[in-house]
Amino acid sequence: MMEKKIMDETFTVPIGPQHPALKEPSHFRITVDGEIVTNAVVRLGYAHRGIEKAVEGRNWIQNLYMLERICGICSHIHATAYCLGVEQLAGVEVPPRAQAIRVLTAELERIHSHFLWVGVAAHEAGFDTLFMYIWRDRETVMDLLETLSGNRVNYSVNILGGVKFDINEEQADAIRKGLDYLEERTNHYLDVVSNDAMFLQRTSGIGVMTRNQAEVLGTVGPTARASNVARDVRVEAPYGAYFDYPANIVLEERGDLTARFVVRIKELFESYRLIRLILDTLPSGDLETRMPRRIKEGETVCRVEAPRGELFYFIKSNGTDMPERIKIRTPTICNMTSVVKLVIGHQLADVPMILVGIDPCFSCNDRMVILDRSDGYKQQWTWEALRQHGIDYYHEQHS
Amino acid sequence: MGSTTIMNNIPNLVALLIFPAGLFLLLCGLFYEWADRKLLAQLQNRIGPRWFQPLADIIKLLAKEEVIPDGVNPTLFIGLPIIALAGGLTAALYVPIVGLLPSYGLPGDLIITIYLLSLLTLCLGLAGSNTLDRFSLVGATRTLTQLFSYEAPFMLALLGPAFVARSWQISVITTFTNNRWLILSQPLGFLVAVIALMGKLELPPFDAPEAETEIVAGALTEYSGRGLALFRLGKGVALVIGLTLIASFYLGGVTNPFLFFVKTLTLLLVVVALQALLTRLRIDQTVGLWWRYGTLLVLAQWLVTIVWHGVAT
Amino acid sequence: MKIGIMISDISNSLFRRPITELYPFERRETPESLRGMLHWNSENCTGCGLCAKDCPANAIDLIVLDKKAKRFVLSYHPDRCTFCAQCVHSCRQGCLEMSNEEWELASLDKDQFHVLYGVKEDVENILAGSPLPDVDRIE
Ligand code: SF4
Ligand code: SF4
Repeated sequence: MMEKKIMDETFTVPIGPQHPALKEPSHFRITVDGEIVTNAVVRLGYAHRGIEKAVEGRNWIQNLYMLERICGICSHIHATAYCLGVEQLAGVEVPPRAQAIRVLTAELERIHSHFLWVGVAAHEAGFDTLFMYIWRDRETVMDLLETLSGNRVNYSVNILGGVKFDINEEQADAIRKGLDYLEERTNHYLDVVSNDAMFLQRTSGIGVMTRNQAEVLGTVGPTARASNVARDVRVEAPYGAYFDYPANIVLEERGDLTARFVVRIKELFESYRLIRLILDTLPSGDLETRMPRRIKEGETVCRVEAPRGELFYFIKSNGTDMPERIKIRTPTICNMTSVVKLVIGHQLADVPMILVGIDPCFSCNDRMVILDRSDGYKQQWTWEALRQHGIDYYHEQHS
Repeated sequence: MGSTTIMNNIPNLVALLIFPAGLFLLLCGLFYEWADRKLLAQLQNRIGPRWFQPLADIIKLLAKEEVIPDGVNPTLFIGLPIIALAGGLTAALYVPIVGLLPSYGLPGDLIITIYLLSLLTLCLGLAGSNTLDRFSLVGATRTLTQLFSYEAPFMLALLGPAFVARSWQISVITTFTNNRWLILSQPLGFLVAVIALMGKLELPPFDAPEAETEIVAGALTEYSGRGLALFRLGKGVALVIGLTLIASFYLGGVTNPFLFFVKTLTLLLVVVALQALLTRLRIDQTVGLWWRYGTLLVLAQWLVTIVWHGVAT
Repeated sequence: MKIGIMISDISNSLFRRPITELYPFERRETPESLRGMLHWNSENCTGCGLCAKDCPANAIDLIVLDKKAKRFVLSYHPDRCTFCAQCVHSCRQGCLEMSNEEWELASLDKDQFHVLYGVKEDVENILAGSPLPDVDRIE
């Protein structure tokens, strides 16, 4: 903050990389005129972890756990996307019971993710009571996931070719009971976010994204659905058990922050319905099909619906027990452009709300992009070259 | 002669440094801060801090290094927290803390008290604009904007009881309001006074000036160590004084320590419940709220009171 | 449009105990399926080393003392373990299992985080650092 005070209208407020509104590092440069935002620039990449490179040095099984750790909140869906892709490459059919358990866990994960988001967003809006209560109730679903898998986060449900555990009647009852409680609470929260006058002051009519904008900006997931864009991989291109347990799409028309709250909360009811249905009609059979340790040569893409939107995997195998290349695109990166567009014209105080409205997950989206440039720009760096570049860069900065 | 002056002044010194202002009030402020946090936690189904937490915070802050950032006026930077706290402590001398008679009294001391309380907010705003930090600057602007919006309604709301007591001296008003529950005859005034107090103390939903998710800690972002500790003590003191004023004016007086604690803590519970129920307002919404509703409500209250008195006499 | 819809929640909470559990004093029963500390039963182990190969965290080393006589020692690092249960799944002989009771694994002592499973004298030999013939490590 040692920069000169600029008192004309181009007063920029930096948000991040370290800022209380952001629980993860990223940088927004907000230009304000008084309290009104006139421009916004985003800079990502502070949490790049080199996961895509790391998976190239581990075997197919180990990568399952590496990729699960891309995101702590939607860990299961990453592993599922990867499994679906690898199973497709290997030509292995996963038994229906295992598929159903995968979907069940994915829906439980969606519940926990959406609860988490409503809490965080309420906190950004300055409504800490809602935050505290919703996180209290989120413990219910965390406990259910623990009873089911043995872990509260990173449940490691999947293995290549199936799932690790079965569901017994006792667990099924625990889940049903938990869902009854959650459903009652969810009704209450839906009432709060759509009717509380003070809360609506901070969400209604803020960050409005029209349907056209949502399509042009390429948004995905609940962010798009809140603008009435019918985009949901579970419905458009069902995978796994979603063929047998079709999901209904939840849409809202207004496209403002309230709609984003409402869409996510209404999606919870859809998840409750799917989970109950799966528990009642769980197909019997095996939990696993044996997978070869080496995967046939080939490449594939795989799309799944993560809680935040479409998750995309590209997997390429060269016939060994390690992948040749895995490329991942997480939903946040698709939604990020909408933030810098939508904040313009709003109050500074609304910026954190609009940002949080897309349910951003920064460490998921920080991944390297290599540009193909005609001027001989190197696409691949050796370790030595990278090190030399670092040294040169440092000298340049300090000479 | 020197010794007699000192002897004569001992009660004054005690009043200034130990009781009711000074040390006692500081501890009282910390206790109310704890009660505020604990009650809020209870309402949110959490545990909340233990009783010594605010004290521990203050001791920690006092023990820490105070960083004076580049580009500030160091005299102001160090002086402002002291003035803020001193303003609060001085105000306490005119207020019936723990139900005792005010230590000092003079005609018109109500106005003095209200202005001494505003000194805190003013210092906060100045402290923010003294630094180069953007968050502080935005915070300071918001603090001062907020000051101008609730100040007039707050004053008018406290002058309502003064009007019916026909005096601007706190001790006279409290004698008048003793066992007269003005909340019944001036409910709007009471409401506005409580909400304005929340605005003054920047409690939620009026915490836009220090909204951590937008501007970190607002005007106090650059403060650490002693300065921050003094500002926090000042806020605690202002909380106690504000609650005392409202309780003694509107809630039938606080003539003994028992009544004082019962009434101020009940009032605090109301304040906490409002904090828990309401969502933070944007600064423009705060201003709009005060000028559109707050001021009008008190003016309506005034009108009713004046007409009523005209009819009665 | 209503103000303060959450009043029902806060008035309920006013007279209720906070939901927070004071952990070391209050503890819940762990679910049957909880994944805690890994345990190894050497009886059926064939020394295939799959558990060590598939562990994503390199938490397992299989030390092969004598493959024919089935003398193995399993070295396990609970601090590296991510409790994913892949090893349990990979072992076709059912040698590995995870306890649902031993889960408070924090320690100030590093030695706690290196566990050797196996026949007592082999383990003692390894700990003593005495040279072992033809030791083969599968990591
Ligand atoms: S549980 Fe997972 S991390 Fe732990 S030892 Fe087994 S395979 Fe390795
Ligand atoms: S996988 Fe099982 S059998 Fe194979 S080495 Fe490990 S414990 Fe022994």
